[in-house]
Amino acid sequence: MAETFVRGVKLHFQRVGVEGAPTKVVFLHGLVMDNLSSWYFTVANAVAAFADVVLYDLRGHGMSDRPASGYTADDMVLDLCGVLDATVGDAPVILVGNSYGAFLAVQFALRHPARVAGLVLVDGHLGDEDFGERMAGTLSLRGEEADRAIASSFQNWLGRHSARKATRLAALARALVGDTSLVRDLRATPPLAAEDFARITAPALALYGERSDLIERSAKLVGRMPRCTIHVFAGCTHSILWEATNEVRGHIVDFCRVAGHAEVQP
Amino acid sequence: MNERNELHQGSEANPITYENVLADVGSMIRGVIGEDWAEEIPIEMETSFSKDLELESIEFVALAEQLKARFGKGVDFAGWLGSMELEQILQLRVGQLVEFIVRCNSEPATA
Repeated sequence: MAETFVRGVKLHFQRVGVEGAPTKVVFLHGLVMDNLSSWYFTVANAVAAFADVVLYDLRGHGMSDRPASGYTADDMVLDLCGVLDATVGDAPVILVGNSYGAFLAVQFALRHPARVAGLVLVDGHLGDEDFGERMAGTLSLRGEEADRAIASSFQNWLGRHSARKATRLAALARALVGDTSLVRDLRATPPLAAEDFARITAPALALYGERSDLIERSAKLVGRMPRCTIHVFAGCTHSILWEATNEVRGHIVDFCRVAGHAEVQP
Repeated sequence: MNERNELHQGSEANPITYENVLADVGSMIRGVIGEDWAEEIPIEMETSFSKDLELESIEFVALAEQLKARFGKGVDFAGWLGSMELEQILQLRVGQLVEFIVRCNSEPATA
């Protein structure tokens, strides 16, 4: 298993595609009920036909370690730096993030603009004023409400889950939410300001579901990015990666082909 | 080493036959599930990944990695799955994977 240790935490990664290719793409998954497999079986393979592709499990997720603490945006950005150092080095990368993964991509772009060749934000949670609070609220649900929320987020590339698998995944989610500082760290995450988005000059593509609860506020923030194109998927919710896989894949492949050959803006 | 040699991982002691590949794949699947119950389930050609084994998607990733290590880069499990519709993946049986592996190892490599 490919893994790297970042500040003592084991992070599992997969590298596919054309190693050493000039176009380098890193995929970032969403929080709690997600891991790198979402990207692995939907979009990454198509991008790997022409690019050097890295996927990894965020700390606490998939086959990475689940440390008790260290889930702030700063921690997650440091993890990403560690994964890049272990794989593609300093070369500028295209970051493709789903939901929280999009938030992480933006956080990274603000801190390390020279390392970003492009951004794809798939129904991104983009840190408006009560981002941390809202995210934490969703994750700290209890009882029936929590079960319902978890069940609805169970759609992944395998579509549906049996009862036993659901129980197993719910136990993992409970451990991440209940036994780590994740919720506390999200609450403490400072929001991104509208001005922050104006500083992101890398080419960007933002994809939103027409019926996503994020579309109004987050799409407005994304609209501040000088080189961002927004595409809205009719009839889709937050889960556009599952609801419109083929179309999402097409947009990402096209974007990566173009952005991969573009110069990184100073 | 050319592509064909890289693909051809069979040996006289363990040639690429349906039976041998099934045994290899079975032990890999048990390994990625990594739980006691997996030891009890017979893994046969008709066994379903989703219904019988309830493999999680991250476990498919681990399996893909092991297949590549065992049978060579030509066995592109992820690419193969990527070419299928969701319904096909949900109904995927172990036997189909075994056939895929045998086919990958018998077809002449393309340049």
